[in-house]
Parts: sequence; structure tokens; C-alpha cells
Amino acid sequence: MKILIIEDEKGLREVIQQSLEKEKFIVETAASFNDGLDKLGCYAYDCVVVDIMLPDGNGLDLISEIKALHKKEAIIIISAKDSVDDKVKGLDIGADDYLSKPFHLAELHARIKSAIRRKSHNGDNLIHWNNITLSPEQRTVSVNNNELTLNRKEFDLLYYFITNPNRLINKTALAEYVWGDYIDQADNLDFVYSQIKNLRKKLKDAAAEIDIQAVYGIGYRMS
Amino acid sequence: MKLQVYTLRYLLIALLGVIALWASLFYMVILEEVYDNIDDGLKNSKLLIIRKAQQSPELLTNHESEINQFTIKPVSMGRYIARNNRDDDDDDDHQNVIYNDHKYMEYDDDYEPVRVLKTVFMASDGNPYELTITASMVEEDELLEDLMTALIALYIMLVVSIVIINYFILKKVWRSFYSLLDKLRHFKLGTGTAFTAPPSPIDEFKALGKELEALLKRNEATYASQKQFIENASHELQTPLAISINRLELFAENNTLTEEQMDAVGKITDTLSRLVKLNKSLLMLSKIENKQFPDETAVDFNELTAQVLSDFEDFAAFKSVSLQVIQNEPLVFNMNKGLALTLLSNLIKNAILHNRPDGTVTIALSEKQLTIRNSGSEKPLNPDFVFNRFARHSTNENSTGLGLAIVKSISSNYNLYIGYAFDGEHVFNITFP
Repeated sequence: MKILIIEDEKGLREVIQQSLEKEKFIVETAASFNDGLDKLGCYAYDCVVVDIMLPDGNGLDLISEIKALHKKEAIIIISAKDSVDDKVKGLDIGADDYLSKPFHLAELHARIKSAIRRKSHNGDNLIHWNNITLSPEQRTVSVNNNELTLNRKEFDLLYYFITNPNRLINKTALAEYVWGDYIDQADNLDFVYSQIKNLRKKLKDAAAEIDIQAVYGIGYRMS
Repeated sequence: MKLQVYTLRYLLIALLGVIALWASLFYMVILEEVYDNIDDGLKNSKLLIIRKAQQSPELLTNHESEINQFTIKPVSMGRYIARNNRDDDDDDDHQNVIYNDHKYMEYDDDYEPVRVLKTVFMASDGNPYELTITASMVEEDELLEDLMTALIALYIMLVVSIVIINYFILKKVWRSFYSLLDKLRHFKLGTGTAFTAPPSPIDEFKALGKELEALLKRNEATYASQKQFIENASHELQTPLAISINRLELFAENNTLTEEQMDAVGKITDTLSRLVKLNKSLLMLSKIENKQFPDETAVDFNELTAQVLSDFEDFAAFKSVSLQVIQNEPLVFNMNKGLALTLLSNLIKNAILHNRPDGTVTIALSEKQLTIRNSGSEKPLNPDFVFNRFARHSTNENSTGLGLAIVKSISSNYNLYIGYAFDGEHVFNITFP
């Protein structure tokens, strides 16, 4: 899987690259509008992560260029502006997702993976992890082909873990993903723990081969 | 005190003084004029009587003439000379002594004031005689009384007419001032509409209006640049914050850290997350104030409440707070859906967060009202500061202090009225227009 990151901020470019490379993605980077346009003209990618505010152009124009070239890349906008207008406009001209800075790396992984999955029309949109099969569209989970009933939040938790295997997941990132943006400052998020306990129990009862560990002080890691 | 009453009060007091002063002067002048007039008459009578006495000497013997109000008495030659030589002027005025006296009048059964002229003349028989002429005078006290009555009438008339004129003139003169005041009262900074003073025919008010326009324009510019600064600063902070958090995440992942080290990294991440939240809240506030949420749809608050509650139910269960919704009537209002969600989420989150264990949160919806009650601490919040920025009511370090400021800002954007009250429970009440 090849990913192009177009971001002018060096530090952010580096961390995204490092983080995605850990997921075995092949990552290329571009620091400017023109640099990005050159790379898009020469190579094909599975996903393009583009910043809206670039020193020599607007990321939205870059998306229009990609569409004009009839390229099939999944496109994810990252922006410091968090502007509804930009979001609507970006999605309108063909971006697949919009992520406002600052974001958690786990969140970016989840977005990239689901954008790529939606783009790949090979019919098999199921995600497999050991003996667990998860269908993001149907929102169903089965273990050893036996269906496992999870409520919405449990499903979202599991989905987040499975799209970020072996990664350290910050509990704030997890809470924001599952409970929405407004939950984040609520009392150190200790309540997330009890939800994960329920999920663990259900998975264990179904004999799922999955291990969700708490990482003291930070959050969780699934392996 | 109203301007009209205020000016009128001083005007009436001043007028009283002016009229009193004027009345005494007027009285003295009139009296002087009356004396002058009577004296002229007396002098005239003197001439006539003396002439007559020269022609018909029997008049001299007829010493007194009560009806004609004069008496003639013979005097010694010495007195005649003494009087006539008092002055070498040949004007005859100095021969006369004129003074006020009182004389009994039968008709009135009272002493009436009279003016008396005394003079000495040389009759045709060569003997000096003293002539005394009296003339009845206007009664001073009656004159005073009449004058007083007239003055009181004048004063009342003046006051009434001044009140009336004052009322209409002030009303007309200050009309442009009041309309300026009214406009000023409804003027809000940061709404993007410039302040224009209403036209006035009066130069001073025109100048006032102009100065106000200029002042508010400067204020508006300051306000806008301050808002712009907050927005820009928040934007500029986003990227470094993102890099810091992401680098820490990678650092924790890439290194095998001890539990204490991991905990330290986690704490730094949490603090950074707080900074992110604070920054986002500030951005949100300036965006709301800049009206950057133009899309409006009919928002069903009953549905939205259910959605928000489902997001918070785990959190509430964890805090053992029970949530209750009373849906009396459907509540639908046209506004930005994201803002409606923010509004409701902030209020409900606060209600759960600042609650006590086994407490309750009750949300009641009716056609024009949304009420959120929570059984929090027993100490009421200060309603004057509750919606202020960074007005902290708890020691919770995770609170940004901006949640209710955002709620207030959204409310005023849509002309919703939000109030806080305490009746044993904390009650936040939103009234929809």
C-alpha cells in the first residue's frame, strides 16, 4: 500500500511517515503543492493525505487536479482550520474524509484504512484478525464464523483496535472516536475502562484470539 | 431624574427668585410713579388755590376747607422768611414740604394714607399764610395685595406655560438624542453592522453622533482584531500541538519504557490533550462569534437530546448519575445542527460531570423551553459569572472553563435566552424565541 503525504510542516510530515511505516505502508512525502502535483503525476498511490494550507497553493485545488487526472486515490484532508465550509467543499469535490489538526495517529490510521477499503471494489470488505471477522458495512462481528452480538460502542471499540493492531492507542483518541468529540474532558475517561472490560469479557466468552492490554497511563494496545 | 423634570426644577426655583426681585423693584417704581403723580396734582392745586386766594381774600379767612382738602393758616413773618430763604433758587419746589400722613376717613372707618403738601405764601394783604393740601393716596397694602395676586397669577401662568413649552420643546429637541440612545442600547459589538447615528438638526447631537460612530468604529476594529488574533493564534497552535502529541505517541510506542516512564508520557499527553481542548474551545468561541456556522436546519431537540444522552450514558453510568428525559412537547428550532449539538452536549456533560454520586439529571422539553436540572453540589453558582469565560466553578482540572461561555455565545447568536437558577438543584433553562 502506497501513501503520499502532502504537508508543509516538517515535524508533522515526519511523525505521520514514521507512524504509517510502522503499519508497513510505503510512504512518500511532498512538502509543497507543486511537489505533490509532480509526484501524483508520476506515480499511483492508494491514499493521499493532503493539507489544505500549503505555501504555494490550496490543498483543495490539488484534490481537483487529482480528480481531473481521473486518478483513483483515496483522499484524506488534514487541516488546521476545522472549517465546516472547507470540509463540505472538500468532500464535495471528491475527498473521502476530513480530519482536523491536531489528531491522534491512531485516528489517522483508522481513517486511511477505511478510506482505502471503501475505494477497493474487490468485494471483500471484511477485516480479519486471527479468528475474528469484522464487517464495517454490516457492522457485524463473527468469531470462528459464529456471530458475536456487540452493541454500537463495543463494535466501534473493536473496530478501532482492529484497524490499529499492535499500536499504542491513547484513551482520549479511543473515547473521542467511540463517544464523540464532547466526551474528551470528562473525568479522566475512567469510564472507558469499564466498557473495555465488557468487550474483553464478550470476546473471551466467544473464544476470540485477541488480547487487549491496558497500558498504564496512556491507554490500550491490542495484539 | 428625567432631563425634563431636572431642568424644570431649577427653572422654577430660578423663576421664583427672579419674579420676587422683579416684583419688589416693580413695586418701588410704581410707588414712586404714584407719588410723583400725586405730588404734581398737589402742586397744581397749590398754584390754583394761591391764585384764587390772591383774587378773593375771603378765602384766607375761611381757614379750612375740608371738602376741598386744603387749609390756610396765617403764620409769622419769620417762618415765611425762614422757609423762603432756605434756597436761593427761584424754583418753587423748595417752598413745598411734601410728606405721607394718615388721616381718619369716616367712610372706611379707618386711617387712610394721604399725601400732604405744606407751603407758605404771601397773600395780597401782605401777611404770610401757610397752605396745607392733602390728597388721598392709593392704599399701599391694597396695592401690595393686588400686586401680589397679579404676580402669583403671573407666576402660575408662567410655570404652566413653561412646563408645556418645555415639554414640547424638550421633546422635540431631545428626540434625536433619545433615538441615538435607543440605537446605542440595541447596538452590539461584533455583529458586523456598523453603528450609524440617527440624523439630527442640532449641531451638538450631530457631533455626538459622529464621535460615537468614530468611537464604536474604533472599538469594532479593536474587537475584530482581537477576535482575529485569538483565531489566528489558535490556528497556529494546532500544528505544533499535533506534532507534540503525535511525537509522544510514537515515542511511547517505539521504546520499551518502564511503567513510571509510560505514566509520565501519559500525563504529558493528557496535559497536551487539555491544551488541544482549550484551543479548540477558543477557536469554537471565535467562530461562533464570527458567525461561521451559517447552515441552518430544523433541529429536533427531542431527537438530539436522545442522541446526546446515548453518547453520555456510559459516562453517566460510571458516575452513577441517573438520566431522565421529560418530553412534554416537540421542540423544533431552526439553527446550525453542529451548534445545537455543542449547546446540548456542553450542558448535559456539565450536569453529569458536576453531579454527585447517585445524583440525577433531568431534561425537560416543551414547545419553547429546554430545562436541564442536576443535583450537584448544594452551593449555588453565581448567576452573574456562570457564563463568563474561564469562570471556574469546580476544582476539576479537566474543565476548560469555556463550556458555558460557548453555550452562552451560541444562545445569543440565535436569540435564545439562557438562564441559571438554583432551587436545591442547579437549573439551566433555555427559552426559545
